[in-house]
Amino acid sequence: MGSLFFSNTEKNFSEKYNNIFVPVNEETKPVENKETIKLSEIEFPSYGDQFGELIIEDCQINTKLFFGDNDIALNNGVGLYNGSAIPGYGKTILIGGHNNTYFNGLKYAQTGQQILIRTSYGNYKYEITDVQIKNYNDKSAYDLAADKENLILYTCYPFDELGLTPKRCFVYAKPLSSNIQIDKTK
Amino acid sequence: MSYNSHSRQKSKVKPIIYGLLSFMLAFVLFLLSVFMVLETTVFSQDYMLSKMAETGYYSMLEDELKTELKSLGNASGLDESFAEDFVNSLDITEIEKQYISAFYCGDKTLVNTTEFKQQLYAALDKYMDDNGIDKSKTSQENLDYFVEQACERYVTQVSIPFFSFVANYIYNASKPVVIITISLAAAALIISAIIAFTNKFKHRRYRYLCYGCAGAFISVTLVPTVVLLSGKISQININTRSLYNLFVGYANGIFMYFFIYSAILLVLSFVTFVLYRRHYYKAINHS
Repeated sequence: MGSLFFSNTEKNFSEKYNNIFVPVNEETKPVENKETIKLSEIEFPSYGDQFGELIIEDCQINTKLFFGDNDIALNNGVGLYNGSAIPGYGKTILIGGHNNTYFNGLKYAQTGQQILIRTSYGNYKYEITDVQIKNYNDKSAYDLAADKENLILYTCYPFDELGLTPKRCFVYAKPLSSNIQIDKTK
Repeated sequence: MSYNSHSRQKSKVKPIIYGLLSFMLAFVLFLLSVFMVLETTVFSQDYMLSKMAETGYYSMLEDELKTELKSLGNASGLDESFAEDFVNSLDITEIEKQYISAFYCGDKTLVNTTEFKQQLYAALDKYMDDNGIDKSKTSQENLDYFVEQACERYVTQVSIPFFSFVANYIYNASKPVVIITISLAAAALIISAIIAFTNKFKHRRYRYLCYGCAGAFISVTLVPTVVLLSGKISQININTRSLYNLFVGYANGIFMYFFIYSAILLVLSFVTFVLYRRHYYKAINHS
């Protein structure tokens, strides 16, 4: 109950973000040639941390990936929605960004293009399967409870529009390959 | 019952009665201190405004509002410079003062966004002209949604949480505070007078007065000391710098008032203790 009103440390109002991203080699296994890594072995990001990068070469997107989608994250890159999973965990990964800045390139997104997500614990390749325009409150746009790994990128639509728009562009992708998966057992 | 046993019983009852009177004095002095602190802090508009000025609330609020609008502009295809033009600390200070004034008058603490909205639309028009953006191709619906979101963020920033909820209670509670404070002061004087004038020996009257003052000193000092030593105030979960600094400054100010009153009570305790010892030795020497 106390933590509802008081934090464990003094408040930090810095506009700077914490970067825990250290790239790993794309080809080699990051942890002693293992196929999986335990969740407890990962340096799990705190809300607002940069923990990776997202690259879509065909869309000219190469941006920082943050854990959480607060203003600091979206002003500096794209953010993983806090209720979704991290790459490699075998669930839905939902990543948002602004349509006028870091996700502006999503206007070039097409089926078959590849997305690369690099984190400190592994690298993950996905392939775009679909691009859809939906309303911001359309719950059918994503399923956070899905039991298979799937990546969804989203941004406001139309692109390059002045003002805030109620429509969203959703880019769906399936996993292609990765150099490590997360072992969900403790 | 013999005269001696009656006299012994009387001598046992008297300390209990005076002990109770000392306890009552301590309690009344404690309440008096609390009400005097409340009157000069929580129920005082000047105290709130002075804390806002002291903690740099207005300028921090201006920065935060600019950051909020920059982020919103970033999401809406607007340059960072957009937010710089129509947010300034003078306007914010004026709006905040009106807001606080409404709070202490028991009015609904609503932030008027009419002017802000007008400024925003004018700034958007100017922005489109300056950047050669075709207005006919820009969706008015999207601009309206942006302005609506900006106003929402503006109201959230300028408002103080729970103020609209407690405004009426604070206003109603502030009315009888002066009467209660005067009544408590009168009660403290009456109890002190009873202790002073019904005791035959001077050292005893000072002893019971000392008990009352010391008890009040301990109770007035205890709560702020425990809270300050726990360091909880600086760990309060407030997410904006302006509000956090205001809260910490406001709470520390209240505790300072508590310490001022506890210092007065400490001096009173010390004086009555010195008088008690002096008269006690006099009484011993006489006997």
